[in-house]
Amino acid sequence: MLFRFLVRFRLMKFPARVSLSLFLALAPVTFAAPQDDQYVLGPDSQVQKGVPQGKVTQMPAWTNSKIYPGTTRDWWVYVPAQYKPEQPANVMVFCDGGGFVKADGQFRVPVVFDNLIAKGEMPVTIGLFINPGVFPTSNPKDKPRSNRSFEYDSLGDLHARFLIEEILPEVAKNHKLTDDPEGRGICGNSSGGICAFTVAWERPDAFRRVISHIGSFTNIRGGHVYPALVRKTDKKPLKVFLQDGKNDLDNQFGNWPLANQDMAAALKFAGYDYQFVLGEGTHNGKHGGALLPDTLRWLWKK
Amino acid sequence: MKHTLLILSLLVSTSLAQDTSLHDYLVEGEPWKEAAGGFTFTDGLCCDKEGNLFFTDVKAGKGIYMLDVATGKTDLFLDNLPGISGLQIGPDGRFYACHNKEQRIIAITMKGEVEVLLTGVKCNDLVVSKTGNLYFTETPTLSVHLITKDKKHVVADAGKVQKPNGITISPDERTLVVSEHGGKHVWAWRIEDDGTLTGGEPFMTMWLPVGKETASGDGATTEANGRFFVTTELGVQIFDPAGRLAGIITKPTPESKVVSVEFAGKDHDVLYIAAGDKIFGRKVKVKGYF
Repeated sequence: MLFRFLVRFRLMKFPARVSLSLFLALAPVTFAAPQDDQYVLGPDSQVQKGVPQGKVTQMPAWTNSKIYPGTTRDWWVYVPAQYKPEQPANVMVFCDGGGFVKADGQFRVPVVFDNLIAKGEMPVTIGLFINPGVFPTSNPKDKPRSNRSFEYDSLGDLHARFLIEEILPEVAKNHKLTDDPEGRGICGNSSGGICAFTVAWERPDAFRRVISHIGSFTNIRGGHVYPALVRKTDKKPLKVFLQDGKNDLDNQFGNWPLANQDMAAALKFAGYDYQFVLGEGTHNGKHGGALLPDTLRWLWKK
Repeated sequence: MKHTLLILSLLVSTSLAQDTSLHDYLVEGEPWKEAAGGFTFTDGLCCDKEGNLFFTDVKAGKGIYMLDVATGKTDLFLDNLPGISGLQIGPDGRFYACHNKEQRIIAITMKGEVEVLLTGVKCNDLVVSKTGNLYFTETPTLSVHLITKDKKHVVADAGKVQKPNGITISPDERTLVVSEHGGKHVWAWRIEDDGTLTGGEPFMTMWLPVGKETASGDGATTEANGRFFVTTELGVQIFDPAGRLAGIITKPTPESKVVSVEFAGKDHDVLYIAAGDKIFGRKVKVKGYF
């Protein structure tokens, strides 16, 4: 078994019967529901004594994008303690990076990287945590328009080019990064999940390892065509991990569990090196977060 | 109970963020109904605060017509202004119009007094912001123009948008939106403090009719929660504030050519479209921004 499922059932705690029924009636597609509670973080997602800790640096906001003119975005770089400037490091990009980099979030990627790298269970990897762009105005009270859906849900090579032409060269100014696409991965949730796949699909010369949690392979901006494309396109050298939950979204854009099953079936049909985990969760990162250490062990295995 | 309220408020906020399906805001048993007829080529829909609907008959009409919200009857409102293709009431209570036939942008008082703001432009459609900046499309030159509140004229964008046609603005008036008549995108820009446009991109993608390369995007308006309603060959296409196509409201008949859209009615919850010789309306569960 590649995956040791971290299943720990917990008793559901609710203050009153009325709120439980309300919760069950309205909640299934919006946020963590009772069926998500079985997914909890294991020891590899906790800070462990004696394990060297990498360094997370928040970079100056990226404001001069030529691919996405007018946007600004926050981003962070994680450099593992084991990184040596003379040795090119692997690279892993996280879409919606602000959530993945959080020390108390659903993924805690820097902690997981620290633990796995220390045990030699994944290579020395620099993590790039990048938020989608926004269009801020002169008034800080205005809610800036988000460019997330345009950047993540669109098919095509725009986001791959953004990473390859803008972000990677900026990081390479101060860090030695591998040029080997086998050493480059990308991970995301929901629209970030389809974005991760799109980046590698468009540019397998640059990124070959993909993690998609609750990926939006639905028709938000045409991404529902991927299963058909995968079946009819010559096999690309990608390694793909997909996770979804049976209780994920079903809305005007499509049905997430069906779309992910369709993706998995297409990857299988075309002979891809892939893994698909279909759990019971809703549209959030709890299951993906609980799996992440195992996912990374599998993803980076040669 | 406090906890229940907390959960409820969380649910409301998250479900809004996720946006809703078209099926949630159309009303069962409320299809398109003819609201006015006997014209040639209706266009330029706009509304006033009371919910009256104004429009033009751009190829044959006399001026500006009004569909009275109280009586449901339509009459000529202002005479001797033929050939207006885009119309809106500005913050000063005057009409602003793309006087396509005369190749000029004008302001018109409710009594019909005309002020010429700009001449020599093949203007198509316009939107006026609450601060008084006027944006209009010039379809043949692929341009989006700005006339600032101080009446300065600026070409705000040129050459990128394929036959810019319909135009509208976000409820925070920080995003300008323009539909392509000769492509499949609806573009969006940030509106800077001086009214100029930056960061333009093909933010939304319209659904194409089978076998066609263009969606024939035309008139556009804004729903109170920031959704954009854009007329196309297939019908009225709806985009949520994230720019995602959320639904398509089919045309009244397959032959209808829908070129303009606006919310009007007492509660601004009747969606009107200009479809050739007729104006159609249908009650919906959302309201207009204008």
